[in-house]
Amino acid sequence: MAPSATDDIVSRREAWKQLPPPTVYPVKEARFEKYLPPQVDGRERALAQPPGQAAIVIDNGSSSVRAGWSFESKPRLAIPPIMAKYRDRKLNKTFSFAGQDCYADTTARGHIRNAFEAGTGIISNWDVMEHVLDHVFIKLGMNGVEGGIDMPIVMTEAVANLPYSRKSLTEIIFECYGAPSLVYGIDSLFSYRYNKGQTGLVVSSSYSATHLIPVYNSKAMLAQAIRLNWGGWHAAEYLLKLIKLKYHTGFPGKLNSSQAEQMVRDFCYVSLDYDRELARFLDWTGLEDRERIVQYPYTEEVVVQKTEEELARIAERKKESGRRLQEQAAKMRLERLMKKEQELEYYKDVQRRIADQNKKEVKRLLDEAELKDEAALERVIRELERSIKRARTKDLGGEQEEEQEAPDFSLLDVPDDQLDEAGLKQKRQQRLLKSNHDARARAKAEKEAEKARIAEEARLDEERRINDLEGWLEDKRQARLAKLAQIKERERLKADLGNRKSLASQIRMKNIANLASDNPSGASGGRKRRRGGDDDDFGADDADWGVYRSVAIGANKGDSDDDEEGEEDLEAAVRALEADLLTYDKDFTYEHTLDAQKDWSKSLLHAFRYGPRPFDPSSPAETHRIHLNVERIRVPEVLFQPSAIAGVDQAGIVEIAGDILTQRLPSIAGLDRDQFLRDVFLTGGNTLFQNFDERLRSGLTALLPAGAPLVIRRAEDAVLDAWRGAAGWACTPEAKKAWVTREEYLEKGAEYFKEHDLGNAFG
Amino acid sequence: MSNPEAQAAQAAHQALIEQLDIHSIHKTFRNPHWRPNQRRNKNIKTILGDASRKEASVIATPQDNSGAATPALQDNDGLSTSGTSTPAVPSASGNPSLQPNLAQASRSLSKLVLEKSLSAPSKPSNGATSSAPTATYTNIESAPSLAPLKHYCDVTGLPAPYLDPKTRMRYHNREVFAMIRNLPQGVGEQFLEARGAHTVLK
Repeated sequence: MAPSATDDIVSRREAWKQLPPPTVYPVKEARFEKYLPPQVDGRERALAQPPGQAAIVIDNGSSSVRAGWSFESKPRLAIPPIMAKYRDRKLNKTFSFAGQDCYADTTARGHIRNAFEAGTGIISNWDVMEHVLDHVFIKLGMNGVEGGIDMPIVMTEAVANLPYSRKSLTEIIFECYGAPSLVYGIDSLFSYRYNKGQTGLVVSSSYSATHLIPVYNSKAMLAQAIRLNWGGWHAAEYLLKLIKLKYHTGFPGKLNSSQAEQMVRDFCYVSLDYDRELARFLDWTGLEDRERIVQYPYTEEVVVQKTEEELARIAERKKESGRRLQEQAAKMRLERLMKKEQELEYYKDVQRRIADQNKKEVKRLLDEAELKDEAALERVIRELERSIKRARTKDLGGEQEEEQEAPDFSLLDVPDDQLDEAGLKQKRQQRLLKSNHDARARAKAEKEAEKARIAEEARLDEERRINDLEGWLEDKRQARLAKLAQIKERERLKADLGNRKSLASQIRMKNIANLASDNPSGASGGRKRRRGGDDDDFGADDADWGVYRSVAIGANKGDSDDDEEGEEDLEAAVRALEADLLTYDKDFTYEHTLDAQKDWSKSLLHAFRYGPRPFDPSSPAETHRIHLNVERIRVPEVLFQPSAIAGVDQAGIVEIAGDILTQRLPSIAGLDRDQFLRDVFLTGGNTLFQNFDERLRSGLTALLPAGAPLVIRRAEDAVLDAWRGAAGWACTPEAKKAWVTREEYLEKGAEYFKEHDLGNAFG
Repeated sequence: MSNPEAQAAQAAHQALIEQLDIHSIHKTFRNPHWRPNQRRNKNIKTILGDASRKEASVIATPQDNSGAATPALQDNDGLSTSGTSTPAVPSASGNPSLQPNLAQASRSLSKLVLEKSLSAPSKPSNGATSSAPTATYTNIESAPSLAPLKHYCDVTGLPAPYLDPKTRMRYHNREVFAMIRNLPQGVGEQFLEARGAHTVLK
């Protein structure tokens, strides 16, 4: 490795210390704001308008339902199309909420239902829709009006809304709310109208979908419209999925899609040149500027700092209790000692008394003392004496000397025929004792020898190093490489076991079958057996037992911890070798060690998950952080490459726009394509990403002939202009032509509606 | 809930809930006799399924040219404000009520072709209206891309020159590969799912 490269890495590992402290953003999510009182003044103003000049305008969007009066400049309220209804059993009362109010209560939050089918602009839950409309009408001050809503209603609907869906809503508006008239229009076209568009291509990317609709002379060419099933909702869900996968090992915070939605809104942007920007996104230089850190709430582990005094007191208390325990123990020991001495006294007395008695009397006395014979008495006395002596020395604090003298083995040398029965018994016992004693001595000697051998080895190693440093270093290097290879091999084996067809697993299966069969004929055992008859010599060689190990690996991961231990050992060995090399080899620097290779500053995944600073898994603040980097451009990029990034099998918007502008429109006679090019209009909340217009421009420029008059403009307010457009249009003569009155509804049915320039076609 | 503060907070919260609740509000603007169909909640799949079944039955039913079809279909004839987009040929074309659209086209292609060829000459050659079938929810969906797909790493999102044949995940470099191979069971599949490339068991 070139020295400059290592310098660079060293500086990187240290460089983060020069970085400013990270900017963290608190996590945001949709929440309850405040109670909104019904606004009666709106209705009063509506009544004061000249007849036919007031209508209720509802932009019925899947992200937000915006409602207000047609004569005002902005909607009175904007609520998400959700409701929550539950029964409080304690109060025996049903509660229902709509819009943001659902977030006010935890129980309500758990009962939230959405009016729209997830990820689409089609209403699928009509009870929710009714609730949301109830809420809207109450807040608009319509409650108190007897017999229904007495204002015309203008609503938006999805492009090419399903007839069933439209029919159901019409039914609700007329039957349930009794409105005098109703008209639907398409939100993005209203927005285009508000922004004074005549002919152009409307690119509307909203919450539930992205639509491209060419508009000619203020009339939408719906037959040429194209929908891409990707909107803000999908982006949020996608980001949520990505975050969960990024921290798939377990993120302690609670993630939800509302938070992801906020993150998309706040941190994502469209990249002007995706591939180039992407390739360098995780580079260490400047990563701190490219990443955004979101901090989730956490509770800091409180470490109570104890004062010096307190610590002293605690230590004192500990010592005190220790002393007390010691005293108690000493007392108990003393008591036991006294008891033993008394017993000794008693047995000695017995001994004294039986010394000059006849056999019968001796037997009686011994029986009294619950002893079998004199030998037993002697043994008891000897044992008591020994234990008393031991206790005494211990009390005095003296070291307990190892069995000073070897036990008496005198009988062992005496031939059996010279001994009586008791003697034989004793001899057997002595033999046992002796073998024990010898074994202990042998083990001790072996230990000593091993110690000496290691010391000798170390000495030789040392000597070799001093005399032949180069050779010694070379040996160490080779040893290190061998160990590394071993580690690698082990890892490979482990990985192989995951694969059913690998050699490793096949051998394992063979072993299992072999062990289980009645007449085993393994590759190694079989041949031996044929030679050596049917003697099962399994276990003669210690390595035989390895078979069980090889079978157990991976069978159940919990049991294979000795395997892990072995790995630890290998790594420890490598570490020891590296420590030697570090001290004596000047060419071997920290950068070459295994630790350095695994260091965070070399890891792409570290940069991806934790940014350009080290990560401390014990800090709750750091574990509760989300680092957004590649996602910032990856999520909005889906609009341009839906299939490659999110697996949506549709063309991206540049391709769609190109198709409309270069294929579909020119094939229609009498149209001037350039007219559409001069006004490519962006609306909808999902187009608000930074660079969205620039990216679309560069993408389209590549598809169009040189010098094409391409103009891309954004809506003044991509979110509210749809409502404003609808409000401005609501009471114009052309709108009135499209109004379906209550009479018409009653006469012609719920599926009846009139086509107009800004609405859906009959289909 | 013993200390007074918590109790007060609880009471305030309860008051807020009561205030926000719209269940207890009597809504005068609602028709008290409104009894919606209990089974009106349908998802898109059901709606589309129902619609195509209905269409199929309409096609299967022999119809005369009297125009006495279902009322909804009858409305179609004269009441549309812009005459341009209603079928220009009245009942002469055989079946005016049947809108040409793709869902139907798959069912009765020959009929559609016939209808189109019949209606073509009489169509006004106004540029803004087209001869394409009317936009429906299903047929305005964008077609799959024709451009070659780029490959991105399933883990990091970076350009991915490699594909792991075992997990079928795309990856950026050696380190990511090592991570992929050490993933616990099933996690790899989740990564694939984000790209829509996971295996769906049916």
